[in-house]
Amino acid sequence: MVSVHVYGKLRRFAAESDPCGDSVIDVPHAAGDTVRSLVVRLGIPLDELGANVFVDGRYADLGSPVEDGARLGLFPDDMQLLYKWYFRPKGTNE
Amino acid sequence: MDPERTGVRMDRMLRVNMTDRSATFEPLPAAYRNRAGRWLTSSIVHDEVPASCHPLGPNNKVIFSPGFVTGTAAPTSSRISVGGKSPLTGGIKEANAGTGWGRRLARLGIRALVVEGQSTDNRFWLLKVDTKGATFEPADPWVGKKLSEAVAAIAAKSGGKERVDVCAIGVAGEHRMGAAGVCFTDREGRASRYAGRGGLGAVLGSKGLKAIVVDDSGAADVPIADKATFDSGRKKLAAALGEHAITKPKGALNSYGTAVLVNILNEAGGLPTRNFREGRFEGAAKIAGEAIFAGNKERLGHDLYNHPCSPGCIIACSNTWHHKDRSEHTSCIEYESDWAFGADCGISDLDQIAELNLLCNEYGLDTIEIGGTLGVAAEGGLWKFGDGKRAIELVHEIDKATPLGRILGNGALITGRAFGVTRVPHVKGQSMPAYEPRAVKGIGMTYAVSTMGADHTSGYTIAPEILGVSGKLDPLDPKKTDLARTFQYATAFIDSTGHCLFIAFAILDIASGFEGVVEECSGVLGTKWTMDDVGRIGKAVLDLELDFNRRAGFTAADDRLPEFMSREPLPPHNGVWDVPDAEIDKVFAS
Ligand code: SF4
Repeated sequence: MVSVHVYGKLRRFAAESDPCGDSVIDVPHAAGDTVRSLVVRLGIPLDELGANVFVDGRYADLGSPVEDGARLGLFPDDMQLLYKWYFRPKGTNE
Repeated sequence: MDPERTGVRMDRMLRVNMTDRSATFEPLPAAYRNRAGRWLTSSIVHDEVPASCHPLGPNNKVIFSPGFVTGTAAPTSSRISVGGKSPLTGGIKEANAGTGWGRRLARLGIRALVVEGQSTDNRFWLLKVDTKGATFEPADPWVGKKLSEAVAAIAAKSGGKERVDVCAIGVAGEHRMGAAGVCFTDREGRASRYAGRGGLGAVLGSKGLKAIVVDDSGAADVPIADKATFDSGRKKLAAALGEHAITKPKGALNSYGTAVLVNILNEAGGLPTRNFREGRFEGAAKIAGEAIFAGNKERLGHDLYNHPCSPGCIIACSNTWHHKDRSEHTSCIEYESDWAFGADCGISDLDQIAELNLLCNEYGLDTIEIGGTLGVAAEGGLWKFGDGKRAIELVHEIDKATPLGRILGNGALITGRAFGVTRVPHVKGQSMPAYEPRAVKGIGMTYAVSTMGADHTSGYTIAPEILGVSGKLDPLDPKKTDLARTFQYATAFIDSTGHCLFIAFAILDIASGFEGVVEECSGVLGTKWTMDDVGRIGKAVLDLELDFNRRAGFTAADDRLPEFMSREPLPPHNGVWDVPDAEIDKVFAS
């Protein structure tokens, strides 16, 4: 299982979409999962996703692998502050 | 007005001596002709303040300077830079705020206002500056008062908030406390915008200057040497700010304010929690920008977007928080204040955070320093993390200037010493802002080497690739040398322009926006600057500041993070601060 934490306008993909709480989607893990494969499986349009993507709290991107049991954090395109200017995503294949 | 102020800037300096209460206009020295904002405040501190002076003695000075383009039609450019020797760090300090106050000063042709000397009669004074000159009045009626009341009364008797802006210190500054900031009025006349860090409010207090009211009615527009270049630049910048998802209307900053960062840093494991014991706060979502937006909507019955803190700001990131009865509680809960009273204090109730923010605005305190201090005070057994009621009581102690209040009002380091706490997150005596160095090492590097003490704005958000440093880095990677240096140069340049640092979010992605900023400056000054001048000017500013600090006695040993960060692993990444000292010392070695 991967627990996907979504923020901003992406909260609508979770059952609990209260902006003052945690919006979490539990997704069964499949072999070879990456951020991209999970985002696509959840039906989140890629153009709504911003650069603030975190796998277990590490800055990541669409190509980053996601292990079973991981926490994936996804912020929309209008919340991409800070990280993308400073840092290279971890473990990306893209 | 000076009749020569046509075409090219012929700005003046206003020198105010509090010892004999004299105010003299002087021509701006030729060497400072093309300096403004942080470049000018740091230049004057460097050139005129003896580095070894006592920060609260008669030889320290407080310098105010609007940026190159402040007072013009350049978007988001109403910042005022304030400089001096910091009572908190003992080094040079530059802090800036968004306010119409600097804009009015610029329109009066005053590139720098220098406050020197020290009142010898134990009284506080009000300085009034307008087209006729500068005059003093006793400030007795406002001493000890809440800043909202003092500032409203001063504005009302000086022609009203449409005509004047006010700069003032609160009770904390009157008592010369190290956490005292310098408060400025926002666009609506609220006492809410702070040049907060480093205790410059205490320096004004030590001089006996309670407030400065600036009235620019009758002043001419700021002259622009090359209007075509200026207009081209300001349009490029406005276009970049208007189109970028972070800075555009109803974009991230306009909707959620800077507190949008709460959830981001929390997800990254870099949100310092309970005095930097952890990197994630279980209450983060309850205090984040999204929660502020949702809470206001629930209480007001409609969406509330943020407002500009100062005239001409098109980003408009400044928020308000409202009581259940819809009345306004406080403005503005910025990311750092939200974090300081929220995650760092273990408080997840926005009403309590808003109250703490309001009290700091009323008493003239830096929210970051006070939040950090409360975190240390909880370690010292003065209260329990999460007990917002008790935290509020402790801040009232500062207003009463009780012995406990004076300890707290002097910041995290002093409080840690007084209560025997070793986990004190500070650098050079200034408490750390809202980014955990063990999780975001580039920012840790910035804290370590900043001339200002632990300061996020010293190197905030500046793109390495745009400024010619190749390659982005892993946030947990310890090699941050080039990054930290480049960030600080670019920031020092933006701080000199008079633009708010938040333009960086857009101009880092949209290169024409950054070019626009350089063109605006060239347009005002009649220079022919290019992007290459950004690094040159940034370096010039930093070199002055580093030289002052060296003369004030700082060595490499001061460029260090507190020991506990190398010893205590920080959840959830469980990393320690492991950047080698030699790596830190390379940042400004060249
Ligand atoms: S972006 Fe925000 S802080 Fe900056 S000038 Fe505008 S309202 Fe003020």
